[in-house]
Amino acid sequence: MTLLFKRLGLCIALLSSLLLPAFFATAAPIPATATLDVELNLPKIDTTMYARPYVAVWIENSKRKSVRTIELWVGKDEWLKDLRSWWRKVGRYDRALVDGVTSATRPAGDYRFTWDGLDNDGNRVEAGKYTFYVEVVREHGGRNYIRQKMTLGDKPFSHRIAPTEETGDIRINYLIK
Amino acid sequence: MLKVSKLKVLGLACTVIAGLAATTTANAHPRWVLPSHFTVSKEGGDWLTFDVTASHGTFVFDKPAGSEFAQVVMPDGRKERPNFVIRGKRRSIFDFYFEEEGTHKVAINNVPSYYTAYKAGRRDTIKRVKANKAERANLIPEKARDVSTQLSYTRAESYVTVGMPTEKALEIEGKYLEMRPLTHPSDIVEGEDVSFQFYFNGEPQAGVVADITREGTLYRNHQEQIDVVSDKDGKVTFTPNVAGRYLMKANYKGELKNDPMADKASVNVHFTFEALLQ
Repeated sequence: MTLLFKRLGLCIALLSSLLLPAFFATAAPIPATATLDVELNLPKIDTTMYARPYVAVWIENSKRKSVRTIELWVGKDEWLKDLRSWWRKVGRYDRALVDGVTSATRPAGDYRFTWDGLDNDGNRVEAGKYTFYVEVVREHGGRNYIRQKMTLGDKPFSHRIAPTEETGDIRINYLIK
Repeated sequence: MLKVSKLKVLGLACTVIAGLAATTTANAHPRWVLPSHFTVSKEGGDWLTFDVTASHGTFVFDKPAGSEFAQVVMPDGRKERPNFVIRGKRRSIFDFYFEEEGTHKVAINNVPSYYTAYKAGRRDTIKRVKANKAERANLIPEKARDVSTQLSYTRAESYVTVGMPTEKALEIEGKYLEMRPLTHPSDIVEGEDVSFQFYFNGEPQAGVVADITREGTLYRNHQEQIDVVSDKDGKVTFTPNVAGRYLMKANYKGELKNDPMADKASVNVHFTFEALLQ
């Protein structure tokens, strides 16, 4: 009886090893030449106590799990927690990631950066539904939390995200070269 | 002989008054703790400060509840005492340096108190004496009727998370009323469901009544409290619709069986938490 089950188990294992590659084929990585170009404007804000904002830009998959932090512009790590969503979803879990991606805060102006389509571990992400996030927090100022759903595959697209109090124009362009 | 009995009466009267004063404070003014922060992201840790008071308003300082019993349950489960404790006229404060990664429980639990209620005399007035079941025989008249001793115990607690959240400090100790967060305290977000589970003496407890109120009651006309009652598994679920700091006041009243100290219990958990912005 047990032998029969063992044989059956082996059979299932063999079958699934044959079928699994086919399963993975449906969730193929995005094209190697695909990139997400981001144009982001930090508006000039006239106020008595202006401080450069803290900015986090990251990508989450359809299970709302963060796959990559693209940009993190912050001052002292004491204030990382003020990027409420980014800290809760990403920052607090990985101090090394934070150290790796952190750069200095920026003044008002136009910025351009590119996501290479790789996750935090350097693997190309699978084609599918993702969300692009921008969180901007300013001391003595406000906070804006921006979400843009997108489908990454073999079709290029562009999205324009309307300005908020703490952000100017944001454009994301998914390009396949 | 006469002198002795007079003294005894005086002593009894004092105990009654003291007992009354104690129960009035316990019942009328919920004791709670308010952390300056619930989250630490600074590498190497940071000082946080805590206010402890008892009041009717949510996060309005009123009575100088002490912090002498304050303790911090560290992420590995061991207990530490706060570094600085000060008692003022309307609150006490303490500071603690949070440097270990993980979730800490901050608790100001005091000690259990007991009072015995009984009826005596022709008018059936209810009298109270601060005494447990073992002590009460010497303190109440022989002909006292409807004698019942109540245990009161209140936990005032909150959680602080440094870096990555952990679970160890959320464990219960199996005594009196306790609340085990099923939603991690650092994952409470506006507009999302939150679940807690209540335990009485280590067992999931149905019928725990709790109200959950957001800060700022002084500046709005209605409490806007959320009322919940625990189900058969001791669980409650609710949704804080607005980000902010909340106080949950949970109470359970129940009979005690085979307890040498009391016949019944009225036990509380006063839990302070923050609901984060989306």
